[in-house]
Amino acid sequence: VNRSNRVQFFLQERLGLDALRGLASKKRVPFHRSTHFYYLGGMALFLLLVQIVTGILLSLYYKPSPDQAFESVRAIVTEVDFGWLIRSAHSWSANLLVAVLLLHLLTTYMMRAYRRPREMTWLTGVLLLGLFMAFGFSGYLLPWNELAFFATRVGTAIVGRVPLVGEQLLLLARGGENVTGDTLARFYALHVVILPLLTIGLLAVHLFLVQKHGMSVPDRERQRLGGGERVPSIPFVPDFLLRDMVGWYLALALLAALAALFPWELGEKADPFASAPEGIKPEWYFLFMFQALKLLPAHLGPFEGEVVGIMAFGLAGMVVLLVPFVDWGPRTRGVLNALAVLAIVFFIVMTAWGWFSAETEVGLRIILGILLALIVLVLPLPFTDPRTTSRRTLYTLLTLGGLLLVAAAARELL
Amino acid sequence: MIAFMKMTKPRVTNNDGRSVIRRSSIVIRRWSRLVIGLGLSVAAVASLPAETLWGQPVDEGQSVLPADYSCSICHRKGGELWSETTPVVEEKDLVDDIHWQKGLRCHDCHGGSPTLDQFKNHRDDPDFRLLSSPADIPSFCGHCHSSIETMRKYNPSARTDQEAEYWTSGHGRRLKASLEGENPQPDQVVATCTSCHGRHGILAVNNVNSPVYPTRIAETCSGCHSNEQLMAGRTYNNHPLRHDQFQLWRQSVHGRALLEEGDLSAPACNDCHGNHGAMPPGVDSVANACGTCHGKIANLFAQTRMRHKFEEVGLPGCATCHGNHLIVHPEDEMLGMESSAFCFNCHNPENPKYGATLVGAATAGTMRDRLEQLKEAIKAAESKVREAELLGMEVRGPRFDLRQAFDSLTNARTQVHSFKPAPMEAALNEGLTVTSDVLRRAEAALREYSYRRLWLAASLVPILLVVILLVLYIRTLPPATTHS
Repeated sequence: VNRSNRVQFFLQERLGLDALRGLASKKRVPFHRSTHFYYLGGMALFLLLVQIVTGILLSLYYKPSPDQAFESVRAIVTEVDFGWLIRSAHSWSANLLVAVLLLHLLTTYMMRAYRRPREMTWLTGVLLLGLFMAFGFSGYLLPWNELAFFATRVGTAIVGRVPLVGEQLLLLARGGENVTGDTLARFYALHVVILPLLTIGLLAVHLFLVQKHGMSVPDRERQRLGGGERVPSIPFVPDFLLRDMVGWYLALALLAALAALFPWELGEKADPFASAPEGIKPEWYFLFMFQALKLLPAHLGPFEGEVVGIMAFGLAGMVVLLVPFVDWGPRTRGVLNALAVLAIVFFIVMTAWGWFSAETEVGLRIILGILLALIVLVLPLPFTDPRTTSRRTLYTLLTLGGLLLVAAAARELL
Repeated sequence: MIAFMKMTKPRVTNNDGRSVIRRSSIVIRRWSRLVIGLGLSVAAVASLPAETLWGQPVDEGQSVLPADYSCSICHRKGGELWSETTPVVEEKDLVDDIHWQKGLRCHDCHGGSPTLDQFKNHRDDPDFRLLSSPADIPSFCGHCHSSIETMRKYNPSARTDQEAEYWTSGHGRRLKASLEGENPQPDQVVATCTSCHGRHGILAVNNVNSPVYPTRIAETCSGCHSNEQLMAGRTYNNHPLRHDQFQLWRQSVHGRALLEEGDLSAPACNDCHGNHGAMPPGVDSVANACGTCHGKIANLFAQTRMRHKFEEVGLPGCATCHGNHLIVHPEDEMLGMESSAFCFNCHNPENPKYGATLVGAATAGTMRDRLEQLKEAIKAAESKVREAELLGMEVRGPRFDLRQAFDSLTNARTQVHSFKPAPMEAALNEGLTVTSDVLRRAEAALREYSYRRLWLAASLVPILLVVILLVLYIRTLPPATTHS
């Protein structure tokens, strides 16, 4: 018995690795036109791993107090070896993570993977997205810079406009009436203790359910291939895992490029007594809400515009959460699809509006905006048949977008 | 009479088209009216009912005089005993007056009895403080303002030496001289307290509308000192008085700072000449006047041989190079041996003045060269920092430290006034050390930026290589099958 076998025996005897090995060898993943969308979940997991590792490294130097927070982040960026890379990677991977999760949500919706018996997988997934947005919101304040400080003030003020419980929510979020050191302390606790614990729990349930129910095959593919039994599949190990790894490596390359080419800005230290600067903006995934609330008139009928907006976003969130339970048949599905298209258009238009109203880094914003539009255009490709008008329209739009992207990139580089 | 109290001003136009008051005519008319008015009002008072109260107090801060305010009986237009010849005090002036607001009433300044039953003809009343000429005004105001006990009640920190100071001023001396001559006649034109502060309606000096508020004082002085006719023939220390000071000062760095930028610390006329004791600073005391604000420079200058030389030949310290009223922002071009530089004026090798030396000329040239050297170094460091900033690198530390180089430059410019290379050299070296450090750090940031891109490219190679290998390997895997 050679040494390797002895180690295997040792582990097998104590950990029962055979069960895992058996599970891995038996697990298969459906292989069809939309299989690529399955990689988004894995990519999100990889980015989460980056978040955890870089977050732990940052916590070694970060000091959560109004007097020291900004200085400690500045020290991380300027004095700590590779601190700039860790901080940039943390900020960029957080944004990529939310972007990947949004795409994951959208493609899951498009594949209708939320149907029975996967309702709970959808529910936990949407809640996880909410958690990661909360991660972003709490993390945005931690460097205690001017923009984040005032954006948090505006953001928490919006929470305060929720009818009935708004005032209590505001006090809970800020730890007092204003954004102060107390707010920073509880945002830090939220960011590094409360949210991670909740995430671990929910993620465990989500992953368990994914394993339990396996991957869902879209109706369209099932019909095209002549029934569920005739959908081909590949082994999870190593075929699917290797494909997943390609996604991770691509995400890593993108992350490295973004972190090195566009170091995350630190801005100016927050001065709570100064007047709010121009160009306050939240993270991009809150920008559509921020912009829409800004555009709403002060009063809509007998109600305050902002309150109506907040209620509408709350309602939209509930609809997203409850999609599996309101998809009753072709008619409601049609309504849901129309709403989804409207929501995507609303999201892109409002985000772009919010972006372009700021003055700085227009080049980067244009590039990212076009990329976002291109990604959304790629998504329906597997759902259209080759050589049809819809496929050709998509190709034309994609080509136009690609040319625009090249032009924008060339303008930026030259 | 109304015209008297309203101060209708006979106007003439001076050379630059500005309308100015013909001061002598006002003053003569004023005093003749006062005497006539007093006589008539005394006659009118004799027929007053005895029960009328005089000097009846008015609530503090009250904006309208009560109808039965006793002095108003004669001295308010439309009062019971008012006539066209009685001096009138405008109601608004009275209630806006700082004295009035502090609770003082007419008789507190003018004296006399405040009640009707004790009323005496103002001229016959020994307690009435008669104003028969400008010469009476300093002591009239000084009655309270020179009394420590009185002033303590209203403003414990107020000075009480204004009257004494006044008599030492150019104005006071002129007035005194007019009273002491062979044919004593009070100078009717020379400024007294009321010329600057006003008569009734005197505002607190910290009131922005006061004619002696920092932003207004120069214009107040110019009321007389910009009047060419008024200044004509007047001399100080045998030098004729000019009338263009206000115009010049207004264009100066001080005038602009005060009038355009509202910088109340910038000096107006009184800050250099004194206010109550206003006098032109002598040749030997110009540096002291400037030194009240520019203390460090004045100290440096006081220790130089240049200062003694200036005094010896009668050159007025700072003003020799910087001018007096039209002081412009100092430029580095003022230093050195270029024909535009001030040093060149005396140290001109071909035509030296006042015994100026060639060594001095060489020193001036070196000082200027070294200043330019630091300026260049700052410019280079700043440009590198900016370059790094634009690339998104964190250079706030060097940016902050660069301010020390600017401080050193300012310090070096200050040290010019020692007229010695060594102290200036120390400041310059300090600045050059800072700029070279900032430059080094900015260049390091730029190098770091290049390294980052390089390492990015280098890291992308293995990542993409792994991706390619993975894809190639995936292609060798068996195709997807329908799993039974």
